Amino acid sequence: MISSRNPAKNLVAIAGAATTGFSSKNTPRSQASYAAEACTAVIRACGLQAGDIDGIVGTNPSAAEVQAMLGIPEVTFFANPPIPVGNHMAAAVAAVHSGQCDTVLVYHASYRLPWNTASALKDPFRGLGPSMAGPGPDTVGGVVGYTAWAARYMYEFGVPKETFGRIAINDRSNAVHNPAAAMRTPMTMDDYLSARMIRWPLCLLDMDVPVDGADAFIITTTERARDLALPPVLVNAVTLGMIDKNEEDQTPSLRHHGHQVVVNNLRAKSDFWTDGCDLYYAYDGFTPITLNWLENAGWCGPGEAGAFIESNWDAAGSRIMINGRVPLNSHGGALSEGGTQGSGYIREAVHQLQGLAGDRQVAGARTALLTLGGFFFNAQGLTLVRD
Amino acid sequence: MPDLITDLITDAELVRRFPGQPLSHDSAAHYRGRLARKLLINRCAACGTWHHAPQPICPACWSTDVVPTEVAGTGTIHLAVFLHQGPPAEGVDYSTPYPVVTVELDEQPGLRFTGTVVGSPNEAVAIGKRVTLDWIDRAGTPVPAFRLVESSAS
Repeated sequence: MISSRNPAKNLVAIAGAATTGFSSKNTPRSQASYAAEACTAVIRACGLQAGDIDGIVGTNPSAAEVQAMLGIPEVTFFANPPIPVGNHMAAAVAAVHSGQCDTVLVYHASYRLPWNTASALKDPFRGLGPSMAGPGPDTVGGVVGYTAWAARYMYEFGVPKETFGRIAINDRSNAVHNPAAAMRTPMTMDDYLSARMIRWPLCLLDMDVPVDGADAFIITTTERARDLALPPVLVNAVTLGMIDKNEEDQTPSLRHHGHQVVVNNLRAKSDFWTDGCDLYYAYDGFTPITLNWLENAGWCGPGEAGAFIESNWDAAGSRIMINGRVPLNSHGGALSEGGTQGSGYIREAVHQLQGLAGDRQVAGARTALLTLGGFFFNAQGLTLVRD
Repeated sequence: MPDLITDLITDAELVRRFPGQPLSHDSAAHYRGRLARKLLINRCAACGTWHHAPQPICPACWSTDVVPTEVAGTGTIHLAVFLHQGPPAEGVDYSTPYPVVTVELDEQPGLRFTGTVVGSPNEAVAIGKRVTLDWIDRAGTPVPAFRLVESSAS
């Protein structure tokens, strides 16, 4: 049930985050090699060694593969949750707070594969694995679902395509300042409107970029994190959210899906909300998800995201600056940094709160609100605070 | 629908006729119905609630007496997409974007079924339009589709 009960509040911390950076072209490397690079980087950055890790959470490669690859001697907790990576954080926080383990390695390796880009097949190794035989075109399941609900959003509120374009442009403008990002060439509205249509009403630039690369994190008790090398980032609250009618074509409405559960529960458990956050991250696997997060999180009312963006548009920076001070997806989001299925937003928030965000640093940032995932079976959110 | 001749089709043959579809003991009756060009949607015999996709239990009352039941096939377009690219399928080349609509069926608010639209140019296909069930053939297997109802207000 929606509840303010949150016994783990601020008692579990993200002690560090690391990234390999992302490429929008096939690289001559395996998915495991990216996981290894990010995992070893974050363990070292925190001043830890393999023997200090007693929990592993990741999707692909599996926790077992990562343990073997990195020679982590013993773990007492591991999990292979589905993406997005809020699932991984929720599992790690619960495992640490309950005492199932003390120090969790969380990782996510993004990899260009045939399911997200046909050009992955230029690398023969990427065509191996389970067959992708699907049900044919007569469905709005899978990746088509967000396109279908984008059409509904346009129908209900008379939203023009340019409103979707603002999200893509905002993210690209932020990615220009992010050396880890795959796409760093500034984008204009003309660029957006002339992009190739993939599934009307969404075009190529409405969809996240398939990339090679990885992020990794260390999750431990706040007490222990204070003894490690980097400033701890406390998990104020974390939640997942899902409703019963979670299939794409049976989802009740734009105002009744996983987003609302996340917002209601995360808000009840957190010490701050939109008024008190210095950083805001909203999932942008598809542009309509971001517009709906803005509305569902309460930054503005239903159908008002376009007007909200216009009134918070920083023309000089060609990006959103809410109330002149809160950026949206300061790293460039999945649309421009790369499709990290959630890890990029969390890594960027951690770096911002640690003061390690380089040219993108938001001065004095102390709080971050993250609303991740989509409508159907993958909505999730976190609130993070600097210690 | 025990009177359907298609009940005589074996499970193995059903799997062969519907490659890539989510066939199981729960959905087999729905797909057998397709072979007879009947759109069967699960309805609870205990409480009358419809649900889709086919499940082994009524999500409203937990009765396991769910009965694949033919629907009228009439409804209103709730979602609409036009695929400029997509998975390979016989008779679909995407040079004309392929319409896919989710239709809210008249039997119950929120009960929806997804398929393509036949018999109208894409410009006429839009959310809010009234449709009725039709069928297309793909590799010799019937596929449920929708046709705009002519009197539909735009």
